[in-house]
Amino acid sequence: MIKASNVYKSKKLIKVSLTYCKENKLINSITITGDFFLYPEESLDHLESSLIGMKIDKSILRKTIDKALEQVDVFGFDTHSLTDAILGCLKPEQDSSGRGKR
Amino acid sequence: MKFKKIRLLETGFNPGPWNMALDEVLLNSCNDGNEPILRLYGWNPPCVSVGYFQSIGEEVNLDICRDLGVDVVRRMTGGGAVLHEFEITYSFITKKFPLNILTSYRLICAPVTDCINKLGFKAKYVPLNDIIVDNKKISGNAQTRKNKTLLQHGTILLNVNFDKMFSVLKVPQEKLKDKMISDAKLRVNGLNRTFEEVASQLKNSFAEKFSAQIIEDEITEKEKEDCKKKIAQKYSSDKWNHRR
Repeated sequence: MIKASNVYKSKKLIKVSLTYCKENKLINSITITGDFFLYPEESLDHLESSLIGMKIDKSILRKTIDKALEQVDVFGFDTHSLTDAILGCLKPEQDSSGRGKR
Repeated sequence: MKFKKIRLLETGFNPGPWNMALDEVLLNSCNDGNEPILRLYGWNPPCVSVGYFQSIGEEVNLDICRDLGVDVVRRMTGGGAVLHEFEITYSFITKKFPLNILTSYRLICAPVTDCINKLGFKAKYVPLNDIIVDNKKISGNAQTRKNKTLLQHGTILLNVNFDKMFSVLKVPQEKLKDKMISDAKLRVNGLNRTFEEVASQLKNSFAEKFSAQIIEDEITEKEKEDCKKKIAQKYSSDKWNHRR
């Protein structure tokens, strides 16, 4: 399992921390934090849940995020920037000891 | 938008968990069918509040806060981490509001902008949630909606201690701290007015903008009791404050 994180500057700051399987790049766990606004607020938990088990792949991430945010008012990022924030976790890799923080 | 009456609560200077708990309690009070509430308050001791979606561990130097006697609390609203010290904070809670998020921010930021203008500045609302004077942020605002009721709270900066701000808030790279402080001085400013001056004008601006009569009131015993419970159950708990 690979542990990775990325900080991405969209209109607001998006910080992504995740673990994923090295072989198939499937997300095992993910936390998205930042100074953005979502209405309703609880939709971030739903968004994170919907990303678990998904492959870190541009098109899959975009579809998943679009669907999860269908009924949500988001200020500070959009599907494209959040996708890029998650993709940014792929390089360079680090092991699960947390050393070599990205 | 007009309101007949606004219930005014001037709740003084209190610790962060108390301030955030009372906001949530008042959101429920208003939801019981009362008129909109305007609450004006300050923070004692100083407090860092983090946005609902932020991680306290990522944003706040907890050891330094402990050493300096600065509270730390999570808000129920989004947005960034704020050091509350030399400022006036308001909360406006209403059941009547535009459903569009941007329109509702604009509506409630209007009296805040008006207040700053009446104090002799040229303030401008910048969507989504900022008010600026001379291109410097002077007020940050954030809102939430629960059970068909809207709460917007926000700060008007009276003064800024940049060194303290950047010691309690984490900066991405310590070696860039000096540059971040000098950049922040270009982006953030305080009004350099007293709490009382600004509070007095805020009341007038809310009354005027919403054509409302201000009814001075105090928090009820039930609200006080609910607030104590909310502090114990939520705003002083790690479960809430460290939920991300």
